[in-house]
Amino acid sequence: MNKQVLEFKNVWKTYHMGDGLVNALAGLDLSLDEGSFTAVMGPSGSGKSTFLHVAGILDEPTMGVFRINGKETINLSMKEQARLRRNEIGFIFQRFNLLSQLTSLENVMLPMINKDLEKAKEILDKMGLEDKHHKRPTQLSGGELQRVAIARALINDPSIILADEPTGELDTANADSIMKILQDLNHNNGVSIVVVTHNPASASFADEIIHMSDGKIVNMDSK
Amino acid sequence: MDLYKLSFNNIRRRKLRSSLTMLGIIIGAAMLMALLGVTAGLTTAIQDETNAYMYDVAVTPAAGTGSYLMDNQTVSQIRNRSDLYDFREVTMFSEDVNGTQLYVEGVNNWKDVKVINGTQGVVISQATVEKLGYDIGSKITVKGQELTVTGITKEAQAPYIYVNQSTVRQMADNKVSAIYAQTNGDPKTVADDVEKQVTGVSAETKSEKVNEIQEMTGQALLFMGIIASIALLVGIISVINTMLISVMERTKELGVLKAIGFTNWEIKGSILFESGLLGFLGGFIGVVLGLIGIVVIANLLDLAEYIPGMMPLWLILGVIFGSTLLSILAGLYPAIRASKLNVVEALRNE
Repeated sequence: MNKQVLEFKNVWKTYHMGDGLVNALAGLDLSLDEGSFTAVMGPSGSGKSTFLHVAGILDEPTMGVFRINGKETINLSMKEQARLRRNEIGFIFQRFNLLSQLTSLENVMLPMINKDLEKAKEILDKMGLEDKHHKRPTQLSGGELQRVAIARALINDPSIILADEPTGELDTANADSIMKILQDLNHNNGVSIVVVTHNPASASFADEIIHMSDGKIVNMDSK
Repeated sequence: MDLYKLSFNNIRRRKLRSSLTMLGIIIGAAMLMALLGVTAGLTTAIQDETNAYMYDVAVTPAAGTGSYLMDNQTVSQIRNRSDLYDFREVTMFSEDVNGTQLYVEGVNNWKDVKVINGTQGVVISQATVEKLGYDIGSKITVKGQELTVTGITKEAQAPYIYVNQSTVRQMADNKVSAIYAQTNGDPKTVADDVEKQVTGVSAETKSEKVNEIQEMTGQALLFMGIIASIALLVGIISVINTMLISVMERTKELGVLKAIGFTNWEIKGSILFESGLLGFLGGFIGVVLGLIGIVVIANLLDLAEYIPGMMPLWLILGVIFGSTLLSILAGLYPAIRASKLNVVEALRNE
């Protein structure tokens, strides 16, 4: 039996909205194996982002059990949650979220636990950014920005990468290039990847596509 | 690159705002340094002067006697006491010279009178030169005795003439204004005994005098400290404002930092470090300006010789440390707000 990197067991996430309650996640049951490449699709408000926030320990479930690499996050202190995010999870955001005052190299090194300049340079080089180490975000294109963000996500050798619409701001060529990088990381390095996307072309790089609606999984396609 | 370097970068990046925030601290720290420095230096100088001048007990005519001089009989009574020794007398009186009061003071030790021009013997103050037109070589008649001016001193703002104590006492019919003496026993007890046993005199101990002066200078120091502290406080309040704005502007950035694994304590630490750095730099620059201010003020007030005493190390370190500490405290509320940011909401912030 494969080791499971993410486990959702009857997970609910409820928000107060006006006078009522909204179930962003409504009894979600899902297990993702280590080394899997999963795309999560669904219309706006289907619960994709909440799914990713709970998976990334940025938000806590209202009810149910969530585990990452076998650890139940609800029992962890804030500090332990932060450490888990830093050591085991790599985040990639739609709008890159790089710090504008830092260079590519500095952005990549920011979350690094053991500051290793050579390793940071090596990862940037692997992303095809050999000549962009000392460029600031304003000096880079969208595709380059996302590749710096991927390098930052990889710097602590995480077991899972969570990407929220990583191609949402990119043209088709750059979007394909980014998804190819993620696919290679999954195939060659065994990093588990979860991508939330609206784009079917991006989702097609994944081995498994989950469709969500009203906080539930309504369909799962496997290659 | 770590969070502390990032904090340093934030200060550098927002140069104008950081400079304006620091300006408040700089003004406060400079005022604190200059005002307290000048007052502390003067306090030390006054205390040193007092210590050098005073003996254990000072005996003067009592306030109710209507006289400012003690006669020979009273002086003898005091001098014959077995509990007093090592006497020093001072006689001082004023004389009307051409409608201006000229104070005549006896000198026991010429080291106490700093002669800036001429020699010891018959020394007049600068005010005597200015108000009465006397100069070295001028002849002044006091109590029928003609004195030839030998020197000029900067001591005293009023018209003074300093002559040997024996001469002045002779001019004042052998009377004395004050007798200073050491005591064998407890100065306070001896002073009380003198007052009881010698009619028409008041006796004070050195500690009473020093305490009185120290109390006065201490109050002056406190007053100056309060005024300057208010200025510093205004500067510190601007740190709260700046850091709050900084946290608000950087909401998304802080959300990203949390998302990529920085703990709440690390976030708090970086905000406190940033505010502390503002306080330290502001305090440091303020102290440097304050020291320059001290030199300028001391020269303007003709107190250049007391400059070293106006720059005590405790004050320099205290102002820098105080500015830093207060700024860290000012950063506490913004830091707590930053650490409590909801990551998901912070990431949505644009």
